[in-house]
Amino acid sequence: MKTQRFCDGEERRLNWLITRKLPNTWKRIGWAIFIVSLVLILLNRFIDINHIVFKSILKNTMLVGLLIVIISKEKIEDELVENLRSKAFSFAFIMGVAWVLVQPLLNYLVSFLIKPQDANYQDLGDFQILWFLLIIYLTIFWFLKKRNS
Amino acid sequence: MKNTLKVERAILNLTQEELAQKIGVSRQTINSIETNRYVPSTVLSLKLSMLFNKPVNDFFTLELKD
Repeated sequence: MKTQRFCDGEERRLNWLITRKLPNTWKRIGWAIFIVSLVLILLNRFIDINHIVFKSILKNTMLVGLLIVIISKEKIEDELVENLRSKAFSFAFIMGVAWVLVQPLLNYLVSFLIKPQDANYQDLGDFQILWFLLIIYLTIFWFLKKRNS
Repeated sequence: MKNTLKVERAILNLTQEELAQKIGVSRQTINSIETNRYVPSTVLSLKLSMLFNKPVNDFFTLELKD
């Protein structure tokens, strides 16, 4: 009896953790953080501050912005939205893994064909992987929502 | 799975928006169910059943491919 209660409690807590989302108003905050970071990154390129710490902070805030957008609720968060979310997540995950495996190989092949002496195999950086995952998720989720509206 | 949600909705003279509000989902969800793009959960089906005052089997029917 005691073990059953403990298991139920654990399941409730796990469920709470998995299904937790930010309120819908956070979506705007997420987009604002993303856009400001993106603009600053572009400005950084033009005015050439080129500070490595500044640049990596901006890259991270851009990812944080997108993450906030993703974990914010829709205006009406119902079971269809949950369904579309899980479809978009699974597709983004599979595409992400395929991208990590294939993209460095493609890069190597292209550089080998253009300039064989300079060709070197390089793995993707964490920013590129996360950026790709978040963008693919958002695109697929948007597309699925559009299709169901 | 086929459904006659549109017919049941018409009997009650409800728009998609009104039906959605009554069972606490979005209009898009009702539209997706009606166009067979989305199969609702048991909870949602039972909510619809309560609203239409009919068993679920009356407006959701399995097809051969199911």
